[in-house]
Formats: sequence, structure tokens, C-alpha cells
Amino acid sequence: MSARDTILSRLRDNRPKPAEHPLPPVARLGDMDNGQARFENSLQILGGQVLERQEGDTLATAIARRFPDAKIVCSAVPEFDGTIRIQDLASPQQAATVDVLVVRAPFGIAEMGSIFLSEAQLHNLNSAAHLTQHIVVILSPADLTANMHTAYIERPEFKSARYGVLMSGPSATADIQGVLIRGAQGVRTLSVWWD
Amino acid sequence: MKVKPVNHARAAAEFIEDTPHMTFHDERLWDLRQKRDQQMHILPEWQDLRTLASQIKEHTLANLPEYLEQFEANARKNGIHVHWAADAADHNRIVGEILEKHGAKSLIKSKSMVTEECSMREYLEPRGVVVTETDLGERIQQLDDQMPSHIVVPAVHKLIPDVAKIFAEHYHTDPKDNDAQSLAWQQRLAARPVILAADAGMTGGNFLVAETGTFVVCTNEGNADLSATVPGLHIATLGIERLVPRMADLGVFVRLLSRSALGSPITQYTTHFRGPQEGSEMHVVLVDNGRSHRLGMEEFWTSLKCIRCGACMNTCPVYRRSGGLSYGAVYSGPIGAIIDPTFNERKYSTLPFASTMNGSCTNVCPVKINIHEQLYKWRRVLAEHHELPFVKREIMHMAGKLMGQPKLYRAAINGTEVALSAMPRFVLYNWLNPWGKHRELPHPVSQTFHNWYKKNRVDAGKAAPKATAKKGENA
Amino acid sequence: MRIGLFVPCYIDAFYPKTGIATLELLERLGQDVDYPMDQTCCGQPMANSGCNKDAAAAEALFVKNFAQYDAIVMPSGSCAHHVRDNFDAIPQTDEVRHVRKHTYELVEFLHDVLKVEDFPWAEFPHKVGLHNSCGTLRALRTASMSELGEPFFSKPMDLLSKVKGISFATPKRPDECCGFGGTFSVTEEAVSAKMGVDKVRDHHGAGAEYIVSADTSCMMHQQGCAERAGVPIRFIHIAEILNGARE
Repeated sequence: MSARDTILSRLRDNRPKPAEHPLPPVARLGDMDNGQARFENSLQILGGQVLERQEGDTLATAIARRFPDAKIVCSAVPEFDGTIRIQDLASPQQAATVDVLVVRAPFGIAEMGSIFLSEAQLHNLNSAAHLTQHIVVILSPADLTANMHTAYIERPEFKSARYGVLMSGPSATADIQGVLIRGAQGVRTLSVWWD
Repeated sequence: MKVKPVNHARAAAEFIEDTPHMTFHDERLWDLRQKRDQQMHILPEWQDLRTLASQIKEHTLANLPEYLEQFEANARKNGIHVHWAADAADHNRIVGEILEKHGAKSLIKSKSMVTEECSMREYLEPRGVVVTETDLGERIQQLDDQMPSHIVVPAVHKLIPDVAKIFAEHYHTDPKDNDAQSLAWQQRLAARPVILAADAGMTGGNFLVAETGTFVVCTNEGNADLSATVPGLHIATLGIERLVPRMADLGVFVRLLSRSALGSPITQYTTHFRGPQEGSEMHVVLVDNGRSHRLGMEEFWTSLKCIRCGACMNTCPVYRRSGGLSYGAVYSGPIGAIIDPTFNERKYSTLPFASTMNGSCTNVCPVKINIHEQLYKWRRVLAEHHELPFVKREIMHMAGKLMGQPKLYRAAINGTEVALSAMPRFVLYNWLNPWGKHRELPHPVSQTFHNWYKKNRVDAGKAAPKATAKKGENA
Repeated sequence: MRIGLFVPCYIDAFYPKTGIATLELLERLGQDVDYPMDQTCCGQPMANSGCNKDAAAAEALFVKNFAQYDAIVMPSGSCAHHVRDNFDAIPQTDEVRHVRKHTYELVEFLHDVLKVEDFPWAEFPHKVGLHNSCGTLRALRTASMSELGEPFFSKPMDLLSKVKGISFATPKRPDECCGFGGTFSVTEEAVSAKMGVDKVRDHHGAGAEYIVSADTSCMMHQQGCAERAGVPIRFIHIAEILNGARE
């Protein structure tokens, strides 16, 4: 018998009675506020930030002010040029040279300050979202969903994307003596640009 | 050769001797417990979430074969290669074969308890595969040749100077570096080239979704996403109990997981893998390794609900003071103490006794595993299977007999000759000796309650009190 | 109502004052209390060690001693927890079920059954730290536990608040186990003693002159730790305070 069949038959023999353990209906609980303020508050708790927008700012000027030393600014959106387009990055090795990646998230989650990215936004170079030093995420307030329940219930991307990451602030670690460090192995900062 | 039981008590005593480490360990994990409490207080629906999580998991476990088949079919449809591993040997062989087929010699991986369970590194390395842990804590443990001491924060028992020393040895950094930020940066610098040059990447996983054939990885450092997306080959290893039926069920679990683990609302990365990226290959290994057997254990099957948050460890006053390594097992702390004996009853026979059964673990568990009750039940099973130390067994046997015979018992309490014949005092006292190592004995009293009662109630005709309520009012 | 008083072995042998206070208190409250002379132990030490079969004789004797009473009251949360929740080494006859159902830890008996409104004879002009044993906290549920985030309640605190002059210290980790754990206290003596000394220091640091508890076993352990470590704090069973002890 294959391992598969062995496992499945042992599970069938050993399992508790299915009738005694019904599946509860899908949960839709908690705070249903999907406002921008809630998102920003959550984002900050997880170490993310809102990209500052001064009078007359465009995304380009805001990025230039925020990341004055950035040499390679990679754009994954049509409305912004950067120094290179993500489509022109040939490999993860090349993506690793990027200082700032600009990408658009199809939605965000107010409860967590999370933004969603998939291969659709990353032009099939998924590693770019993690190899870049910094990431700027364009997000529309209209694309906020209230919490994790509403996100999974309402957003079709979870069922269509092959790679779907919820990024909640920058990478982080507290593995050395409990000291919280923002910017571990993935992006060092995550900024949201309200569209 | 007979396997020796893990000597938790001795290892714990050594850990306690080292005051700076123990104190930090206790305070750090207690802080995580408090942060978890704060998150709980923010969510009025917290207990509803726990109930739902428990129900969903129990339902899934009762329907596991069907949901596994559903997962497999959907994952295959999406282009994922699905493998089944009956045990650790199967698992390691499968991973080894995938790597061999691709000629992969370097493997970067993120944290996975299942690969620890299977001792995968020890299997692959002699076969010419260089395995690099990319999670910071896990990497520290790998370099120090130790098991993870905690399932979420693997190097929580170490202090900054310990890490500086290990990094100096392996990364040639400053051994006196006393800055966590700078040490973490060293890890980033050391890991990047290895990640970019790796032939294959491996991750564990927190959830499998039957409905979509998705697996979900929840991490903070970004290393799992790097391990999964940079090389063209991604192997994910998950225990078969990681399943949930529906995508929407993740809402319940994601809301509980990181809040319970670290007191943060969500992990920095919650990644849903539903198929390989363009031009890449993706494999999922579904690992049994004792789980299907555990499912048949009436008193213990609900331990399979565990989502590996580590909340039971953080709250456990014994764990915090003994350190994860003292459990001598891949899974430490309260959850480890009820899972480990299913892997090896004799070796881990001591772990269910490394607990005061205080019940804090059960009440922080986000999936409502009755951990402390299972510890209690394991003690019975182990006693029935003769896995208790002889002296303890004998003492309990003698004490049990004595407690059934009031006259003998009374004589023993009063310290007469009869006691000596009923209870070999030297055995008892040798066994009780440790009491006095860090503690004083109770003070002797002139008479027992029993004797007092006899004199003041029985012999006095029991009339004495009754109306004394009045007497007290003036006091 | 006829009450059978159970005085656990370690109270009988080392802390008779606690037994006496329990008896006197119940008598002051006008209760008809008996102490069956043939009692020994509830079976908990054997059962908690996994040796459940060895608990059978003690459990059978316990039932024999107490089956005739309307309520069985004991100044020990862990014993009450054992009888009520784990007492299954012997066949579950009607008598056994009666005993298990009518077993009370002293605080819950005073609070829930007798619903005592005041203790006019009681005055305790000291700052105390309340130690809820894990049995009372998480099994008998006589107080809210921090793990669940539930609204605050505390039956022992309700009773103690009726005592003149008493005030309460607030330790940093009020719900943390003190590390007694029965045989754990000897098989894992290092962890047990460390937990104990941390516990007494927490109370002492919060300004407690006394640790008060409904469980003597916890206090026996804590007292041993405090004395060895030189932590100047005293111990008293809640029964003694409620019965009018001044110190």
C-alpha cells in the first residue's frame, strides 16, 4: 500500500465520529469599521507608515523626499516611472539590487493594516517584494476591507492568486533577546501611499 | 538498548542556576503572555473565536481523510506536486529525491517544526545538501547545534552575548557586539547571498486549505517568502493536521495565531501559496509521522488541534523557569508534554510530570486544547504502562494502602511503631529529601487536629459550640 | 443541613489551627458540623501521580465517612477539586455521586451555599496578598482568571472584604502558580522552589504582610521557600481570618 493509502485508511479507522463534530457556519465577527483611520492605526502598530504627502506632492516627489539615497527605484505600476520597470528585472538576483519598489495593492485590511500583493501586481517576480530594501504600496481607501473575516469572505484574490501575500508592515524579528527590530530579512520599511 | 527518560528536573535545575538567563527567559515570555492578554482585551469576540477555532479543527480532524483528498485534488489541479509521508523516514527520502532530481545542493529553509521532528537536516547533510536555516532564531540554533527551545522564538533562552559569540565564530563578526540591531543586520548580510544562490527553498506551513488547495505560511522576518520565491524550487512540509476546510476559516485562525503567540495582531507576512510561480516548481509533503495514530487516542486526539502558537509555553510557569531545551524534545512546554509521549512513551515519560497542572495553558490555548487535563490523563497512562520511577510507584502504592486504613494511618501520623511497619520511612524520607534543598519544613505542632477534636469535641461531648455566634459579636 | 468536615492530612498534621478555625467558623455560623474520626485522605496524591488505582482505598473510605452528610466541606481547594472532578478510582455508585456533588471548598460553601453576609467577630488590621490556588482559580472557579479576560470576580475577596481593617496588596502576577504541585514539589524541587520564592517575593514586593489562601498546601510550600530565602512574610488560612484571628 502507498503511504497515501496507508495514511488515509488509518485516519478512517481512527477518526472521531464526524456526526459529532459539525462545521460551524463561516464566521463574520468583530469590528466592521473599514475606514482609513483604522487602517493607518493598525499599520503603525505593525511598523508600517503612511508616505507623507505635502502640498503639491506627487508620488515621485514624495518618494524622492522619503528615500533621498535610493539609486534604483523600481516601478510595478504604469502611473509611475521610477528608474526601472519591474518587467525589466530579469531575475531575483537583479531584484535584489532594488532600493525602493513601488507597487499597487488591490486591497488592504483595516483591522491589521495589511496590504495584499500577488503575482498579478508583482508581474510574476514575487521575490521582488521581499528583496527590495523598501516598498511603497499604493492603496485606495475604497479598497479597504474591515477585518480578516470580511477579507477572506469578500476578496476573490485569495482564490485566484497563486501567490498571495498579506504584508503587515516591514519584516521584523525579536529573536535576539526580545529586542524588536523592524527590517529583518525582507523589506526594511513599508510605506502606504493613499491614492 | 533501553531508552532513558529525559531528565527534565536536572536540566531545569541547571537552567535555574544561571540566574541572568533564567530571569530574562521568564520575563521575556511573561511579557509575551501579557501582550497576548492585551490583544484579547481589545477583541470582545475573543472567546467566540476560540470556540470557533476549536470547532473547526475538531470537525476537520473528524473528516480528515476527505479534506486531505480534497486538498490534494485542488493542489494538483493548480500544478502543485503533492507527496504523502507516512513517517519521518518517508519525509526525508521524499525531500532528498526532489532535491536530487533537480541536482540541488543548497537548500534554504524557513522554520518548520515538522522538519525538526523528522531530523531532516541530519538526513540531508551527509547526502551533500547544505541546509541553511534562514529564520534568525533558527539559524542561531543551527549554528549552535541545538534544537529550537521554543516553537515560535527558537533562541529565546539566549542573551545578546551568546549570539555575538556564535556569530563571531561563524560570521567572523565582533564577539563583543552588544547590539541586537547590529547582530540582526549581520544575519541579513550573511543570509542574502546564500538565499540568492540557493538551488531550492523550503518552508513549513501553518494551514492547508482543502477548498482551494492552498497552504499558508505565517512569518515575521520575510525569510520564508524569500526561501519560497527566490529559488525556482519550493518544497513545503506540513503535518496532515494543518487543514482547515474553507478559505474563510482562515479569518478565525489568522486573527488568533499571532495574537496568541506574540501579542501582535498578525504576523508581518501571511502568505497564501496556491500554485507555483511561473517557471518554478512547487511540492507539498503531507506528513503523518504518528498523527493518524494519535487521532485514534480517545483522550489525546484533540492535541492535533494545535496551531503551534506557543501561548501555552509563554504562560507556563514551569517552562519559563526550566527553558525549552530541558524537555529534551522537538516540542517543549505544555503542548510538548502531551504530544511527545506519542512519539516515544518511555523517553518522554517524565514530561507530563514536569507540570503543576495549574491549567493556565488550557485557558490561553486559542483552539481550546484541554492541555492540563491531558497531562493528568497521560500520568495515568504512563503509570499503567509502568513508565513511572520505581520508588515513586512504590510510595504511591504504600500510601494508597495506608490511606484506606484509618487506624494504621492514625498510628503513622502519630509516629508509632506501627507506622514503621506500614511505611518504610527511609524510602519515604530519601524521596522527600529534595523538599529541604531550597525550602524549610513545616513547623512541628503539639497535636494534630484529630487529637484536638477528640479532646475538645468528642470527649467534651460535642456540645461545646453551636451558640458561639453570639459570643463572637463583641470581639 | 448536616455538614461533614474533611480536614486534609497535611492540615491535620502540620496546620491543626486551620482545621480548628474551619470547624469553629462553621459552628459560629450555626451549622451542625461533624468530623468523622476515621478520615484519612481524599486520594488526590495517588491520583495526581497517575497511580489512580492506588487512590481507590482512600476514595472508598472517603465515601464511607461522608456519604451520610448533606454537605462535605473542606478548607482545601485542591482536595475539593479532586473529589468533585477526578474522583473515579472507584465505581460511581449513587453514594459516590452524592458525595462528589455535595463536596465544597470552604470559601464557596460560605459564599454560595450559606451566603454569609458578614463576619462581625472578624478583624484583621493587616495588608494581605490573596493567593488563589490553581485548583480554586481554574477548576472550582472561585475567582476570575486573567487568561480568559472575564469580568473580575473573587469569592475569597468578597468574604475577606467583610473583615474589618483588612487591606489588599496587588502582586504583579496574581494568577501565577506557586509551584507546589503535590509530588512536583519534590520530583521537580528546583523549579518548584524557584516558583515558590518568586511568588512570595511578588507578594512581599507588593507590600503584603501576610499571604492568605484557601489552600494550605500551597502555603506550606511558600512558607518553606520564604523562610529559606529570608522573605519576611507570614501565612494564614482564610478560615482563620474569617474566624476572627487577629494575627
